[in-house]
Amino acid sequence: MSTRLSRRDLLRLTGSGLGMVGLSQVLDAEARRSPLAPQPPHFPARAKHVIHLFLNGAPSQVDSFDYKPELTKYHGEPYPGGNLRTERKTGSLMKSPFEFSSSGKSGIPISEIFPKLGAVIDKCLVINSMHTDVPFHEPSLFMFNCGQRVAGHPSYGSWLTYGLGSENQNLPGFVVMCPGYPVVGPQLWTSAFLAGAYQGAYVRNTEVEPDKLVPFLRNPSRGLDAQRGQLDLLAKLNAIHLLREGPAPQLEATIHSMEVAYRMQAEATDAFDVRREPQTIRDRYGDGDFARGCLIARRLVERGVRVVQVYYGNMQPWDTHDDIQRMRKLAANSDSAMAALIQDLDASGLLDETIVLIGGEFGRTPTVEVAGVTRLHAGRDHNNHGFSVVVAGGGFRRGVRFGATDDFGFKAVKDPVHVHDLHATMLHQLGLDHERLTYRHSGRDFRLTDVKGEVREDLLA
Amino acid sequence: MGLLAALANALPVEDVSRLERAASRAWRVWSALFAIGSANPAPTGAGLARTAICVGITLLGGTAGYAQSSAEFFEARVRPLLAGKCFSCHTQTKMGGLEMTSREALLRGGQSGPAIEPRAPERSLLVRAVRYVDARLRMPPTGQLSKEEVKILTKWVEDGAAWPATGPVASEAEGGKFVIADHHRDFWAFRPVEDVDPPPGRGSAIDRFISARLEEFGLRPAPPADNLTLIRRASYDLTGLPPRPEEVDAFLADTSDGAFAAVVDRLLASTRYGERWGRHWLDVARYSDDRLNSTQDEPYPNAWRYRDWVIAAFNEDMPYDLFVKAQIAADLIEEREMGRWAREDLIAGLGLFALSPKFQDDRIDVTGRGFMALTIGCAQCHDHKFDPIPTEDYYALLGVFNSTEPREHPLATEDVVQAYQFERERADTAKARLQEFLDDQSEQLVNALAARTKDYILAAWSVAGPNRTPLAATAVDRALDAETLERWIDYLGGWPKQHPLLDAWKTLQAEGIQPEEVGRFAESVQSQILHLIAEKKRIEHENEIRLEGDRSGTNIRRTALLALPRDEFYLWSDLASPNSRDLPTPAKTGVLYYKGDKLERFLAGVWKDHVARSRESIAALETKVPPKYPFLHALTDKDAPSNEHVHIRGNRDNLGDEVPRRFLRVLSEGEPEHFVGGSGRLDLARAIASPDNPLTARVMVNRIWLHHFGRGIVATPSNFGVMGERPTHPGLLDYLAARFVAGGWSLKALHREILLTDAYRRSSRGPAASAGADPENRLLWRSNRRRLDAESLFDSMLLLSGRLAAESGGPPRPWDDRNVRSRTVYRFVSRRRLDVRLGLFDFPNPNQTSPRRFGTNTPLQGLFFLNSALLMDLATALSERLETEAGTGDDERIRRGYALVYGRPPTEEELAVNRRYVEGSDGDWPGLMQAWLSSNEFLYVN
Repeated sequence: MSTRLSRRDLLRLTGSGLGMVGLSQVLDAEARRSPLAPQPPHFPARAKHVIHLFLNGAPSQVDSFDYKPELTKYHGEPYPGGNLRTERKTGSLMKSPFEFSSSGKSGIPISEIFPKLGAVIDKCLVINSMHTDVPFHEPSLFMFNCGQRVAGHPSYGSWLTYGLGSENQNLPGFVVMCPGYPVVGPQLWTSAFLAGAYQGAYVRNTEVEPDKLVPFLRNPSRGLDAQRGQLDLLAKLNAIHLLREGPAPQLEATIHSMEVAYRMQAEATDAFDVRREPQTIRDRYGDGDFARGCLIARRLVERGVRVVQVYYGNMQPWDTHDDIQRMRKLAANSDSAMAALIQDLDASGLLDETIVLIGGEFGRTPTVEVAGVTRLHAGRDHNNHGFSVVVAGGGFRRGVRFGATDDFGFKAVKDPVHVHDLHATMLHQLGLDHERLTYRHSGRDFRLTDVKGEVREDLLA
Repeated sequence: MGLLAALANALPVEDVSRLERAASRAWRVWSALFAIGSANPAPTGAGLARTAICVGITLLGGTAGYAQSSAEFFEARVRPLLAGKCFSCHTQTKMGGLEMTSREALLRGGQSGPAIEPRAPERSLLVRAVRYVDARLRMPPTGQLSKEEVKILTKWVEDGAAWPATGPVASEAEGGKFVIADHHRDFWAFRPVEDVDPPPGRGSAIDRFISARLEEFGLRPAPPADNLTLIRRASYDLTGLPPRPEEVDAFLADTSDGAFAAVVDRLLASTRYGERWGRHWLDVARYSDDRLNSTQDEPYPNAWRYRDWVIAAFNEDMPYDLFVKAQIAADLIEEREMGRWAREDLIAGLGLFALSPKFQDDRIDVTGRGFMALTIGCAQCHDHKFDPIPTEDYYALLGVFNSTEPREHPLATEDVVQAYQFERERADTAKARLQEFLDDQSEQLVNALAARTKDYILAAWSVAGPNRTPLAATAVDRALDAETLERWIDYLGGWPKQHPLLDAWKTLQAEGIQPEEVGRFAESVQSQILHLIAEKKRIEHENEIRLEGDRSGTNIRRTALLALPRDEFYLWSDLASPNSRDLPTPAKTGVLYYKGDKLERFLAGVWKDHVARSRESIAALETKVPPKYPFLHALTDKDAPSNEHVHIRGNRDNLGDEVPRRFLRVLSEGEPEHFVGGSGRLDLARAIASPDNPLTARVMVNRIWLHHFGRGIVATPSNFGVMGERPTHPGLLDYLAARFVAGGWSLKALHREILLTDAYRRSSRGPAASAGADPENRLLWRSNRRRLDAESLFDSMLLLSGRLAAESGGPPRPWDDRNVRSRTVYRFVSRRRLDVRLGLFDFPNPNQTSPRRFGTNTPLQGLFFLNSALLMDLATALSERLETEAGTGDDERIRRGYALVYGRPPTEEELAVNRRYVEGSDGDWPGLMQAWLSSNEFLYVN
């Protein structure tokens, strides 16, 4: 292979003390060997990145993006749609305590608790007809992240980086942010049987300083110049070794990844540092871990990172069994950041090639929960039969309210979209055929969508 | 299984060899094809041997095959092909609506239309599907058929798609049940292990098997590795650590024939051997020090005793069959099965299952893939799509595991256990009694304070309102509790919570409040809160009745309970709840609720004395409680073992037939006997650890081979099924498995036999011609260069720094302790939060059994080498060690360092390069050591 180091190259390096700068030029073609090197998609892609703002715990659709006037009208009446099974026992229909108003030019009704997201709703597709398999957090978190209800399967972020690599070799290809852990934890961004390089790089976004966010990012005592000298020495030793060993791709790849690591120190320090944003920008996102996560997500995508997930918070903050009015505070902590992210991406043109996905693992019942852990009857139970997500950018339709639940917001009845379908469509936008993106493990070919999923052209612009 | 492979598998070994020789003629063609194929990220999965043999037979059969009658052609070529590639999804499962059990069924077709159009292959969906011409219709979905197989089907359709009515029943399902047919049992992995004689030739038996293959394909092996490479390779392979300079010198000086054998024996006798090879097994056993709990850390406090047991079993060369039985049924096996071990020495093995990630059905997966390389887990929802594992087999085994429960096995005498439990219970009871008293006092205090709500609100207005009376004095004047008054003021003051009560208060204030209005307000709050307290109590009482005292899972989820209306609930919660996490008060309790020290402030006289005395007595009782005795995470049979029903499509709510507890059908002669003794674990253990089980010995021999050569004889070490790879050296695999069993399942004997071969001792570099023909080294013409895994990397650094402690075993060492000096195998392994360093260097996910490790190469690893405190600490220690051992001369230190790190002297050039760095960096020896410990020569083993 012509990109391989020639004997003459090596002799030149070791003899002249040319050092690592020269060696890295010779080795640059070897970047292809990195597991994250960009791979061509199956077909031309509409989108290149995904930012997933995960409102973990499952926000209620009828209090956010799925306006149901009938629910108010029939408040206190029993739900007429039959006995849909959810996790716990629920009672009568309960109206939303929030007002809805037509937002943007498209006039999509959005809850008063998301005024800023409402203001950018013309850039978004609101899918009201999502559904998933079961009304339990753990399996549904697995489904939304890994396409299966049980542990042991790669997350979609891992599939995407496995299929496409990443555009910036100096940063991880798939970054996951949470102040601590969501329910289930790191299994949600696992690469499972795919190589470890495709696992989500977990970043605790409670921290502000980049070297606390990315492990081993900065040297505690040695400066970059001293490190350069050290790396030049290492390069010479490795070159002598390589010369003795003869052509060896794995040895060359290791040499290369040391150089990339050196550059990553600067690149990641820059990318993860929100303090480099003007105060006016930071003010638009607001305070708190989630807002910081959204801002970092933007900075990462600007630098070519393939997938970024930001979990709203630890455990499952949106799990409002007791009192749906808790959503007021949760929304107040996230509305500005989500809207600002969409605006910024749109302004820079990146929204066209970035899928911004907002939502939880399922929805909530339009009926009031009356059993279980509740101490008061003002909340809603889990609901896998129907829920809403908001998708902005990446070639999805804009300013459209898609699909529908029944009159009370319980069950997806018009143009239902399963999580598998959403996955298939997201992969499609990134230029991947969900049926062809496979990996052989344990004797069979696995894929994100298992044996299901359909690319939904009706969601696409 | 395709016909051709079936034929090859069915032939006696001599015939296979003959065929292989014939196949060698196809070698060049094949290897050219393969070189193209290997660029494909998902090759069709055919092993070298199978592919080569297939090509060979095809060439041989090509002269006769197509001259057969159509019926013969169907039976000989088509039916086996359909059976192997299509029936699993298109008989009783009817995927896509298509049934492939007869010509009529194919003409009828499925959702996409008729599957065949006789004599028109171009228009037949079947042919189009196997040709992979339409992106939406590619069959089989798991990998394209060979060109030859496509040709067979095309020709069959072209000739009219004859399907003789007589002959064997095509469907594998009879009456909906999966029937295991002869061709299933004839698959290589399910056939008995044969005691194969090695081919004639020179050298060890293993070498003769390997040489025969190399000769057949005309490959020249690499020359022997030099002795330095060899001792480094053997040391890492057997102990996970590099050789010490003295060991290298001794070996290089020993010119006797048995020099290398002596090294191997020394390494096998070292306790470091068990730490290395025990860890390989722990990968399979998905070992961890905690459970996969999604909400909090949940350590298994004695998990390490299983880890230590595994390490000891390897060091003691426990026969592998006993090793297997102990992990499944140590509590049940008979004395005569235990060899020189006592039951007490084996119980810890039960940790394999007792330490499950969540104690769910991963147990069947570990049993299947771990011991027998069978993906039984695939049969949970349907009959296995590729292997002869009916879903009933899964539930037969699930019955065994569900008739078993975890048990703490105390490592203490009965007296000690009872003493602990007695004292523990006494102390706990006393604590609970005191808590009950205090809770009751808290509640009474709430009632008492609530009864004076009006006074508190008026006082609050006096302090915070226009009068501005001082708080303490106001409290004294009005005989109120000052802290409670302060809490009221905070609560009524600027707290931004929306609440009708607070809204009313704010309105009053805004409108310029009049004293009498305050009074009315205070009175109304008082009557509300008194009412709410009573109402809340009534509701709780009613809920207890509704729950019938059972607050467990389903009951609490399905029972409708009463609750206060939202606004009233918040008022109650704000004032009277023991836990009001939304309140800004530091205590996080309701305004009127006191607990702990704060409560005791209100207690006086006899009550105070009572609490004090209870505290003393609890303290006294606690001192009497001995520390909890150590125990093993073990298993026991449930009192009433029971069978499982098939869960149709894996759904617990959709039960099918009851399945007796029994072993796998395909591994039993005829209908397997039902397990009748207890859970059936003992029978299961014996069935797996049996010399007659065709898989157990082959699988373990293959795992050992994998870790010595970097690739198994079967490249899929935990899947010997149809979708796994075929052995590259089937005769060798059987030879080793038979020897293994005959020699008493000794792993150390197996290691020794493997290491003392020429094949093991080859150089990692070899003839270019061989590299061109077999770039992946499937035929073992050279040694494979391998990167240090996580443990070898960290342990080697520790060793070189002079810090590796001799200690072994014991509770897991935390990762955040920089002073840990024990080997990585003794560090904490977490299912919930795997240490970042382990994850970085490809440590396997401990939630699942892992067949082998990935060797990724990422820039994040580079960051570790550049910046990790761990590495920098050890590099500094290593540089200090050099100074101690070699003095202050630069060259002497570099020489000593090379001997330690690389096991060899530096060249003049290297000496110069390193010296220049030291001089140019003002004597940065730690930096130099860090570079050495990051260098390829250190990170790779040749």
